[in-house]
Amino acid sequence: MLLDLQAIQKRFGGVTALSGANLTIEAGEVHLLLGENGAGKSTLMKIVAGAIARDAGRMLWQDHEVWLRTPAEAAAIGIAMVHQESMLAPHLSVAENIFLGREPRLPGGWVNRRRMIDQAARLIAEHHFPLQADGRVEKLSPAGKQLVEICRAIQHGSSLLIFDEPTSSLSGAETEEVFRIVRTLRERRMGVIYITHRLEELRAIGDRVTILRDGATVHTGPLAEISTGQIIQHMVGRETVAIYQRQPTAPEAQPGRELLRVHGLTRAGVLRDVSFSLRAGEIVGLAGLIGAGRTETCRAIFGIDPPGAGRIFVEGRETRTRSPRDAIAAGIALATEDRQKTGLALRLPLTNNVTLANLPAVSRFGLLDSRAQTRVTADYIARLRIRAASGRQLAGRLSGGNQQKLVIAKWLFRRARVFLFDEPTRGIDVGAKTEVFALMDELARGGAAVLMVSSELEELLQVADRILVMRQGRITAELPGRTTQEEIMRYAALESEAGP
Amino acid sequence: MIERLLPFVTLIVLFVALSIASPHFLTQTNLASLVRQTAVINIMSLGMTAIIIAGGIDLSVGAIMAMGGVLGAMAMAHGMSVPAGIAIGIAAGLFWGAVNGALTTRLRIAPFIVTLGTLGIIRGLTLILTNGLPVHGVPRGFSFLGEGNLLGVPFTLWVLVACALAMHVTLEHTRLGRYAFAIGSNLDAAIYAGVPVAFHTTAVYALGGMLTGLAGMIEASRLMTGQPTAGNGYELQAIAAVVIGGGSLHGGEGSVIGTLIGAFIMGVLANGSDLLGVSPYLQQAIIGAVIILAVTVDEFRKRRV
Repeated sequence: MLLDLQAIQKRFGGVTALSGANLTIEAGEVHLLLGENGAGKSTLMKIVAGAIARDAGRMLWQDHEVWLRTPAEAAAIGIAMVHQESMLAPHLSVAENIFLGREPRLPGGWVNRRRMIDQAARLIAEHHFPLQADGRVEKLSPAGKQLVEICRAIQHGSSLLIFDEPTSSLSGAETEEVFRIVRTLRERRMGVIYITHRLEELRAIGDRVTILRDGATVHTGPLAEISTGQIIQHMVGRETVAIYQRQPTAPEAQPGRELLRVHGLTRAGVLRDVSFSLRAGEIVGLAGLIGAGRTETCRAIFGIDPPGAGRIFVEGRETRTRSPRDAIAAGIALATEDRQKTGLALRLPLTNNVTLANLPAVSRFGLLDSRAQTRVTADYIARLRIRAASGRQLAGRLSGGNQQKLVIAKWLFRRARVFLFDEPTRGIDVGAKTEVFALMDELARGGAAVLMVSSELEELLQVADRILVMRQGRITAELPGRTTQEEIMRYAALESEAGP
Repeated sequence: MIERLLPFVTLIVLFVALSIASPHFLTQTNLASLVRQTAVINIMSLGMTAIIIAGGIDLSVGAIMAMGGVLGAMAMAHGMSVPAGIAIGIAAGLFWGAVNGALTTRLRIAPFIVTLGTLGIIRGLTLILTNGLPVHGVPRGFSFLGEGNLLGVPFTLWVLVACALAMHVTLEHTRLGRYAFAIGSNLDAAIYAGVPVAFHTTAVYALGGMLTGLAGMIEASRLMTGQPTAGNGYELQAIAAVVIGGGSLHGGEGSVIGTLIGAFIMGVLANGSDLLGVSPYLQQAIIGAVIILAVTVDEFRKRRV
């Protein structure tokens, strides 16, 4: 056995992160580590990789107990973590990143650059990676950066590799590439721990599965012997997990009032003649591959990247959105893909975030009315079931799902009528996803128009009344909500018959 | 909680220790001179607090201070009244603050760079304006601002309290303050929430400039001249006061009360060292160590929470 973790415990201050986690890894297997956000996956992996120390429990590495104090110690015995792209130095070359901290030396301590580049090139060629050893990392795609991380991890003969959500920022083809690499690692008798939120990719990659819930292992066993439904049950801990299915509000017979109409939206190289409309009471899905122009459509409507050509009508009136301010004034809201970067001020309290877009509504005589703010915030915490102690709690302390609800609260308080959701469930665990869908449904029933961008086709089929498909900057199809994944993919990925 | 109170406790401990160590510390004369010495840095630091909360920094405050003092003194030397002269000093500060704000927001250059540039420009212009010589001939009544007493308390203390209250209300109870925190905490989120970022950032720099102009007039009043070289290096003291008081150079954090405590800690350290005959060279080293210590404690507090 490669790795054997027994009853690992870890506390941070008053919070128990791990209360009894068990995990065994054999050489030559891909082991999936699953669990909701906050279940303790990352903490457990940080312990394995030497980034933090365990409080109690045993960690056996090739049958000997080990205490790892630093990631360097973990690397020395053959454990490496494939980080997400943020762990690379973008201005250095691929080779420099691969050998960062372990550069081959010449006498006198000088870096042997030629040997470094040669070794990197050999490593790249051996795995048939599409990389240049002397190319700069900042020019690479997210998948390319992931490959550099992998090179770094396997460079000096690791026997256990940990992948932490490697595909979360990758497109379908790039994901396939990562899978292929993971399989070759398995063929070389390495152990692989693979963390993912994408339940649909489990079967493509895993041999065995371990599920954590509330810091403890609740299931471990071969993947072939467990259904996806059972996996979800183990993750959320509830007996019955109904797959969410929204009941459409607006039957095609009586559609609501048109709230947003986009006509001929064009931005050089990004968007080509994008036209569609959103009606009150409906949720419209926007599907497409990475780079198809879905996020760009949202950004253009919201005034972040004003389009070169095209017209936007809100409730029948033409509106020029040259900045988010213009869009917000017209009643448009955008819940961005990256809540932490562009959605919330994480180091400020919930109250400040809820009221940020509409401070005049809580002002009296030019001063902020703190009682009104407290009342408003408490109201939204209750209405949207945000799990927070009070409005004074910092937004950064909320889980992903609750952060998403906080973003929605901000726009509700601004009385937005048109909601653009860009990947609303990214980084949100299964239970919270259903709550976010229910909130979107409530918005629609309350008379708002909702556009939902998602890479998870299943989610679009669960939620949307109709689905627009984009490919290479243009809309290639409009499908009914009850379509199939295959149908969506046909228009998203293939040269469509709908036009040149 | 203990860590949060630490700057305050430090100040009290310093006070008590110095009262015991030196019979001259807790006297009215000494406390009054302590207040007068620290008022200038204190008032500048209030402006710096808002700027740092908004995620910015202003390295040009020392130069702005000198230009404010020089222009105000020149106006008075040419026969303008004292209030008018003070108003001109403040207006000069406001102008340069607004220039700093406009340059960072419109040109999208880091405020560190912009204000490093304006530091040179403003200082240079001030020296050209005065030929490098102090401006004399201010009316005698002007000394009241920096040296006078009102109800038995240095007038500068009243000015400081008024400015601190106004800044506290601005930061905690107005839209400008709320937007400053939001901009400093997450600029993109503020833009995406429709906050008029450029306007409010500029306003914060202008506000800081105003207070700096006022500080320049107080300094000029204490010296009874407009010194083109005044305020050299004050920007670092102002930044240090904010940081000792819990402000974060990453933006989004800071408070008026914290900054006041930070500025007073440095003032008391300097004053106490003088009384105890500690070499001024060593004083600099002590204050430097205090800055690092304060920020270290603050970082530990944040990490633990």
